Parts: sequence; structure tokens; C-alpha cells
Amino acid sequence: MDYITFDLLAQLLVNGILFGTSYGLAAIGLSLIFGTMRIIFLSQGTIIILMAYFCYSLFASLTIDPYVSILILFPGSLLLGAGIYNLLFRKAAAIEDKNISLLIAVGLMFLLENLMATIWSSDPVSIKTDYTAFGIQFVGLRISFTRLIGFVMAVISTIGVTLFLKKTLVGKAVRAASKDMEATTLMGITPHRVNGVAFAIGIGLSAIAGIALATTYSFDPYFGFIFSLKAMIALALGGMGSVAGALLGGIILGVIESVAAFFISSGWADAVSYGVFLLVLMFRPEGLFVRSVKKA
Amino acid sequence: MKAKDRTTIGIVIASTLLLALVPFILDTEKSFIVYFLFLSFCLIVMTQGWNLVAGYTGQISLGQHAFFGLGAYATAMIWHYDLLLGMTYYFNPVVMILSGLVAAIFAVAIGIPLLSKLHGDYFALGTLGFGEIIKVVFIKGGALTKGPIGIMLPSGVYSTLKPHYWTALFLALLATAVVYYMSRSRIGLALVAIREDEIAAEAKGINSLKYKVLAFAVNAFLVGVCGSLYAFYLFHVNPEGFLILKWTLYPIIMCVMGGSGTIIGPVIGVFLMNSVFSYANIYFPAIHPIMSGIIIILIMLFLPKGLARIKKRAL
Repeated sequence: MDYITFDLLAQLLVNGILFGTSYGLAAIGLSLIFGTMRIIFLSQGTIIILMAYFCYSLFASLTIDPYVSILILFPGSLLLGAGIYNLLFRKAAAIEDKNISLLIAVGLMFLLENLMATIWSSDPVSIKTDYTAFGIQFVGLRISFTRLIGFVMAVISTIGVTLFLKKTLVGKAVRAASKDMEATTLMGITPHRVNGVAFAIGIGLSAIAGIALATTYSFDPYFGFIFSLKAMIALALGGMGSVAGALLGGIILGVIESVAAFFISSGWADAVSYGVFLLVLMFRPEGLFVRSVKKA
Repeated sequence: MKAKDRTTIGIVIASTLLLALVPFILDTEKSFIVYFLFLSFCLIVMTQGWNLVAGYTGQISLGQHAFFGLGAYATAMIWHYDLLLGMTYYFNPVVMILSGLVAAIFAVAIGIPLLSKLHGDYFALGTLGFGEIIKVVFIKGGALTKGPIGIMLPSGVYSTLKPHYWTALFLALLATAVVYYMSRSRIGLALVAIREDEIAAEAKGINSLKYKVLAFAVNAFLVGVCGSLYAFYLFHVNPEGFLILKWTLYPIIMCVMGGSGTIIGPVIGVFLMNSVFSYANIYFPAIHPIMSGIIIILIMLFLPKGLARIKKRAL
């Protein structure tokens, strides 16, 4: 096995980290929504793909640079998130049985996937800009420019969300609600408001993840569900309810996939990541980075 | 036996006989209704299986497609590799029961660790992970499972859809009866107690793991036998046809829509949603999944408890 060099391992690691951040971004969204609503929002990945398509259309028809389109897509998706909550989940959130919210999310996923397939066709698309092929050489490593920007965007968003949750009053209300919704309600906080905020930010992050995805990979309407699954694994690795943990979980998953794809084969990489996921669920259900050993 | 029970039994027997006569009236090879009913019966089996695990026991399984695929692959491999040494494999009940048992054994093997350690959403996620692993294993199985292409069975033995139709009808009845009798017995009481409050159930001396694994295994058996039957229909067992999430999501949608935790709910849900899906598929093929998505959302928004509970009384 003399073909395995330090450079190669480092390259695998870097690729994994850069790709994993997009899982991490999706996982943060899932984590926020799970925190207040107690549901796995399965359409998260599909909404990320929807945002990637918006980014693609803005670029293809209006020649708006993908990174400039954040200015349009991020505020738009915050509104979209609040809208989705108020239109679809407001009633279901009050019901004890969480299957209903879960099924609404499944219905939304069906709807969006096929809407996208009708509008943009189900053939994969990708965005080709002047800088898509551009890469940076760094001590023997080749780092793609667009992936690096994606990584930076993910880190900035993570810091942004953390600051929002820690420093603002609304953010504190969201955190309180994910600890104990009943007690939070008794303190005079409306559940619908915190749920709406969690949804808005979750979907807002999917705009950033969508742009990061659209600039680096080709995508099709049905990729979203796999993306949701991966985000869920990242969430389980990082632990529910921790923003930085979710990002780290995504990065770990990215590294596992990149290493497994190289050493075993790309098909088995999925099985390896699900295997790790099962092991983590069994032995550390609170996530890898949470110190308290409270049973879920 | 009360008069009401007698009427119910009468209705069940009459409608079963009526359904059993359908292949004599309609041309089984051309009529869409026959195919529609066959598919509905298969879906009832799977929906009742999920109903037992989720509706009665409160454990959401998202790995149903793995059991469906395991059943189908078991049948395909027994047949393809001639494991029963020269018997006729087509519609051999031994093969079908063995296929169900394979799925049930897997359910016990993963059910014991998952159900003892994971609760609620975590169990759902764990079964989803199990399903995806099984899928990758079959895709990457090499010469044994024929990889992504799957196993082709000799389709020359096919002559008519009639045996499929009657077997599916029988299995649908069997699954419904199994869920009915389990829910009316001591086992059913234990299952519902676990659903309502697992810790309280344990405190009353119920071995919750034993009952949860039992429900999970019975579910896997039913779904596995159904997978075996579907393999006899398609003659081509591949990951793309059997190990897809559709076989988990459709039964869940139908069960919740009809009313999970009731006997009649899954049956109503299957017939309703299968009609909607089939109708949309024929008349609006392009927008069919879009419409199905809207319908799922609308029913969940306005009838969250399922159709069977409209009258406030579970049958």
C-alpha cells in the first residue's frame, strides 16, 4: 500500500471537510426545526435543491452571479420559511401526534420534487461560471475555489445562527422552546412565533446551502431526499440541539464518505455512513459532542 | 356473539366472496380493475404490517422496504439457485413462507438491538439506516445478487394474473385478521400499553422489548411474504423495483390517512389513496405526483386523525 501518501490522505480529508459543510448547513436547519417542532423536516433537502434551481435560473436567464443571488434568495427564503410554517404546519404543530407534521413534510417533498421536474426537467444541471474550474494550490493540495467559498459561507452562517440564538431575545425564545415548550409557553412566549422563526431560519439556511451546492455540483430534482437523509445523519452525529455540533457532524460525515469512497468504493460509502449512523444512535444517541449523558 | 359483530362478519365474508369472484367476471389480463385490486391487496398487507408496529405499538418503522426487498430477494434466490432441489418454485407456499421468515429473522436480529436502545424518532431513523444498508448490500452484492441489474426469473411459467389476485386477497385477509386477533388479545393490550406509556407498561410487568420485537417480526413476515408474491408478478427482482422508499412511504401515507391503530382504517386508506394515485397516473401522468403531494397535505391538514375516526368510534 505504498501509493497512500500523506498528500493523498490530506486531500481526501480536505475534500471531505469541504463537501461535509453543505451537509452541516442542512443539518443546522433540521436541528432548529426539530428543536421547537420535534419533527424531522424531511423536505429540507428538497428545498435546498429548489434554491439551487432558483440560483441556476437567475444565473442562466438574468446572468446574476450565483454569489450575488444570495442577496435575493436569502431574504426570499426567510419569508418562504415563515410562509410554509403558517400555511402548512401551524395547525399540525398543536397536535400531539407528530406523524401528521411528518407526513405533511413528505407531501411537500413529493410536491416540490415533481414541480421542479416539470419546470426544469429531471435532467441534471450545473452552473458553469468563469471561476468554476478555478483552484488554489496549497502545499501540495488542490482546493477548488467554489468549494472553499461554500465552506466559508457555511462557517459564517453557523456563527451567525449561534449569535442569533445566544444574543437576541427571539433567539433566546427559540432556545428556551427547544428545551421545554410547555414552560416556555407559560413564560408568555407564543409557540407559533418561535416555530415560525425556527422555520424561517431553517429555510433561510437552505438558500445558502443551495447556492453552495449549485456552484460546485450538478444536481437534479430528486437529489433532495438523499440530501435530507445525509443531513439527518449529520444531525445524529453532532447531536440534536447544537448548532456547531450539527456543522461538525456534517464535516465528519463528509470525511467518512470521502475516505470510504476512496478506500472501498463509492457505492459502499453510503453503507459505511449509515453503519456509523446506526452505531452512533445505539451508543451515543445524544451525539458525539454533547457531554451530558441524558437519555433521549 | 353480539348482533353487531355478526353483521360485521357477514359484511366481511360477503365482500370477500364478491372480490373473489371478480376474476371470473372481468378479463384478468386486460382489465385494469383486476390489476388495481391486486395492487390494493398487496398494499393492504404492507399497510396492516406497519399499522401493527406503528399504529398499535407506537414504534415508527421506516425500514419496511427492506423487508419487502428481503422477501422478494429470498424468493428470487431460492428459485434462481435452485435451493429446494428441483421443486416447482412458482407459487410454492413453502417458498413464500420461507421468504417471510427470512424477513422476520432479519427483523428479530435488528429489532433486538434497535428496539432495546432506541425510542421514538431515533428508532425511526435507525430503521431508515437499516433499510439503506440493505439496499447498498444488494446493489453491491456482486454475482450473488446480480448487483444493480437484479435477478431475472423464468417468466415463461406466467399464464394468468388469477393466482396472484387470489393469493393477494388471501394475504390481505390474513394480515387484517392477524392484526385484528393480535389487537384483541393480551398481546394487543400489551402493545397498546407500550404505545401509551412504555415506562408504565414496564412497571406493570410487561416485557416491552419482547412485545415490540414480536410486533416488528410479525410485520416483517407479512411484508416479506408480500414481497415474495410481488416477485412472482414482476419476475425481475432488482434494487430499483423493490428496495425503494416508495414501499415504505405509500403504506405509511395510506395507514395514517385511513386511521392508524384501527382495523378498518388501513383498508379504507389503501383503496382511497390507490384510487387517487392510479386515477391521476392515467389521466394526468405529468402532474400526478404533484397532485398526490397536494392531496396528502390537504388530508393531513383537515383530517389529521384519519378517515376511520371521523365517527369518533374505531371499528
